[in-house]
Amino acid sequence: MPVISPSAFAPPPITRAITRGATRAAPANDAPANDATAPVSTSLREKVRRLERAHSIQRAGKAAVPLGLPAIDALLPEGGLLTGALHEVEAGPSPSGRVAAHDGAALGFAAHLMGRFAARTPGTLLWCRRPSGVFDAPPYAPSLAAWFDPARLLVVTARRDEDVFWAMEEGLRCPGIAAVLGETRAADATSGRRLSLAAEKSGVPALLLRPQPAPPQSVCVTRWRIASAPSRSTPGLHDIGAARWRLDLRRNRFGVPSAADIPSWLVEWNDETRCLAMVSETLHGSSGALFEERLFEERMVG
Amino acid sequence: MRLADARALVPDLVTTSGEPQADQRLIGTIADWCDRYTPWVAIDPLGGALAEEGTEACSTGGFGGDAGLLLDVTGCTHLFGQGETGDEAGERALLADLVGRLSRHDFACRAAMADTAGAAWALARYAERQADLFCPRHGQRDALASLPVEGLRLEAPILETFVKLGLRRIGDLYPLPRAPLARRFGDLPLTRLDQALGARDEVLEPRRAVPAFRTRLGFVEPIGRPEDIAAATSRLLAALCRQFEQAGVGARKLEIALYRVDGSVDRTAIGTSRPNRDNPKLMKLFEEKLSELDPGFGVELMILAAPEVEAWSGAQDVLPEAGALAFSLGEDGTIDLADRLALRLGAENVVRLLPRDSHLPERVQVAVAVSSRPATDGAWQRLANLKGARPTRLLQRPEPVEVTAFVPDDPPSVFHWRRHAHRIVRADGPERIADEWWRPRPDGSRPPAGTLPPVRDYYRVEDDDGGRFWLFRDGPYKLAANGQPTARWFLHGFCA
Repeated sequence: MPVISPSAFAPPPITRAITRGATRAAPANDAPANDATAPVSTSLREKVRRLERAHSIQRAGKAAVPLGLPAIDALLPEGGLLTGALHEVEAGPSPSGRVAAHDGAALGFAAHLMGRFAARTPGTLLWCRRPSGVFDAPPYAPSLAAWFDPARLLVVTARRDEDVFWAMEEGLRCPGIAAVLGETRAADATSGRRLSLAAEKSGVPALLLRPQPAPPQSVCVTRWRIASAPSRSTPGLHDIGAARWRLDLRRNRFGVPSAADIPSWLVEWNDETRCLAMVSETLHGSSGALFEERLFEERMVG
Repeated sequence: MRLADARALVPDLVTTSGEPQADQRLIGTIADWCDRYTPWVAIDPLGGALAEEGTEACSTGGFGGDAGLLLDVTGCTHLFGQGETGDEAGERALLADLVGRLSRHDFACRAAMADTAGAAWALARYAERQADLFCPRHGQRDALASLPVEGLRLEAPILETFVKLGLRRIGDLYPLPRAPLARRFGDLPLTRLDQALGARDEVLEPRRAVPAFRTRLGFVEPIGRPEDIAAATSRLLAALCRQFEQAGVGARKLEIALYRVDGSVDRTAIGTSRPNRDNPKLMKLFEEKLSELDPGFGVELMILAAPEVEAWSGAQDVLPEAGALAFSLGEDGTIDLADRLALRLGAENVVRLLPRDSHLPERVQVAVAVSSRPATDGAWQRLANLKGARPTRLLQRPEPVEVTAFVPDDPPSVFHWRRHAHRIVRADGPERIADEWWRPRPDGSRPPAGTLPPVRDYYRVEDDDGGRFWLFRDGPYKLAANGQPTARWFLHGFCA
C-alpha cells in the first residue's frame, strides 16, 4: 500500500538542489493548503495534490459526510469530511486576542461533527478525554442531545495523553464504533499518524478536540479553529441569540484550494432546526455588534 | 519464665524479639503457595504462632509454637499419581511432595493425611512414628487411640482435668458414656472427638474464595520467557473454556497465578462486562496483563481459575443487517472494546451516561458501568427539551467569580474569572433552580420542615468577545447586617 510521506509536498530533487538555501522555508505541512511561499510552480503543486488526493480517496473509501454548509463543503474533498480520516478541532483565541477562556464553542462544533457522523452510521460514539488543567469540566449530555443521542456515548477518562490515544486507536479498530473523539492537550506526530492509519484502515472517522491552539500537526486531513463569536440579540433586547462561531479552516489536505489564505466563516447554530447556517458578515458583522454594544452602554449609563 | 531468669540459667542464651505479624504474613504466603495442591486452604485458627502476642499460648509456645495449615485435598490427589489401590497412591505422593518442597525451602514441617481435619491435626502434632502420619481410609479411630488427649484441640482447663482423671489417651475416651462426659465438660470434648473420628462434619473456612472452575499446568523445567507464559496461558484458557462450554457458563472474572520456584506466588486478574467464554477475546484481555507478571527465577506451575462465572447460553445470533439490534445487545464488539479499555484505565473510567430525573444540573447526568442498560431512545432528548439552554461543558465544582452589577437583581455587567475581566454584553435569565428538599443533604441531615430550600438563579451571559458562560447567583439578593451583599456568584459551565 502506498504511504504518503510528509515530504510529498517538498519540491522534486532538482528544484531542491537549486534552492538549497531556501529549503528550510519549504512548505511546512501545516501551512494553508494554497500556501505559495515555496518556489514551486503551481502546476507541479497541483500535480502532487492530485496524486495525493487519488491516494486518499482510494484509501478512505470515497466516503465523506457533508457539513451541511454548501460553501464549506465545496472546498472539502468529496464534498465533506472524509470518514476514515483524522480531523482536528481546536479552540481559537477570541476576537480581542485573548487566549480562549474556554472551548465551549469548539466542543459545540465537535459535537456537531459527531452528530453528522452518528447520523450516517449506527453504533457507539467513543468519547475519550483526559481531564486537563486545574478544573475538570466534562461534556454535558443534556446539551449534547441537540447534536446526537447521548445514549450512544461511551465516555472514557484517562490520566495520560498516551492512554487517550491508545483508547482512540482501540476504538477505531472496533467494528461497532461510529465515530471516535479524543480530547487532549496535544497530539505528537507519531500518535497522530497512528490514529490516521487506524482510521484509514477501518473507515471510522476520528476527531481530535483541543482546548488550546497547539503546535501544528501534519497528519490530520482537516483542522478547524473555532472561536465563539458575538451572537445577535433580538432588536431592542439584550438576550443571547443563536450561538455563533468563527470557523477557520486552517488545514485542508486533498481539498480544493480556496481564494483566501485561511478560509474563514461566521456560522450560526440554529437550535430549533438543528443545523448550521452561514451568516453574512457584511450585514451582522463587527459593526453590527459594535452598534449593539453602544446601545447597551447607553442603557447602562442612562 | 522471664527473660532475666532464663538468662541467669543460660548465660549465652540467644534471644530475638517475636514478630507475630511477620509470622502471620509468612503463614499467609505458605497458604498461598499451598494453593498449588488444592484451592481449599485454611490457616489453622488454633496454630500456636498465631496466638495474640503476650498471651500464654505465645509464651509457652503451645506444642512447639507451630502454626498450622489445613488443606482439603478431596478430589485433588489423582493429579499426583494413581496406583492400583485407588487414590491412596496419589495421596501419599501429594503428602511426600508437600513435605519435600517445604523442606527444600528450609521449613521444618510435619504433615499428616487423614479422613478428617481433626485426625490430621492430631497426627501431625502427636504421631510418634513417621509411618503413622499417613492414616489409611477409615483408620482414624485406631490411629488416634494411642495419641495424647491434647490432640483433641481442647482448652487447657479441660485437658488438666482429663489428666487428673487419668484420661491420658484419646482412646481412653472411647468407652466412656457420652452423657456424663457432656454434663461434666460441656459439648466441646464430644464435638472435637466426633469431628476427629468423622461422626460430625467440620467445615474449613477457605482462605481465598474457592473458584468453581480451575485448571493447572505444571512444568518439568521452570519457564520464564514471556512468550512461554503467554503460550501456557493460552493452553490453560482453552481447557477452561471447554469446561465453561460443558457447564453452560461464561466467565466474569479470571485469575491467573504463577507459582515461582522460590515459593512465592504472583497473581493477576481480568474482568469482563458480561459472561464470556470466547478464547481469543479472553486471551486478548490477558495479553494486556501478562506483562505485569514477574516470573522471577522461573515458574514451575500456573493455575488459571474463574472465581466469578455466570450462566450464559452463548453468543446471540444477530440477524444480518441488524445494526441497531446488534448495538443494543452489545454484540458488535463494543462490550469487548469497553472491557479492554476498562482493564487498562479502570472500570470507573469507562462509562455510559444515563439521564436522571432531577432539577439540579449536576445531578441530571449519571455515569454507569458499560454493562448496564443504555438509556432508551429519546430519553435524553425528552430531558433536554424540558430544560432551558444548558452549557456544553459543566464544571464539576462551580468556580466562585467576582461580579459587578449595577442593579442588584440584574445580571452582572462585569465578572472576573481567573484574573480575566469579562464584560457582559448580553444575558439571558434568570432561571431559578431550587434545591431538592426531598433529598437529604450531603451530610445526611434533612432540611428542617417549613424552610425554603436554597435556590440558585442561573444566567446565561455573553461577554464582549462572544464567549458564552453559565453563571449563577447563590440565593436571592439580600444585604447582610454590615451592608455587604450575602449572595455569591459562581461560574458553572461554558456554553457553545
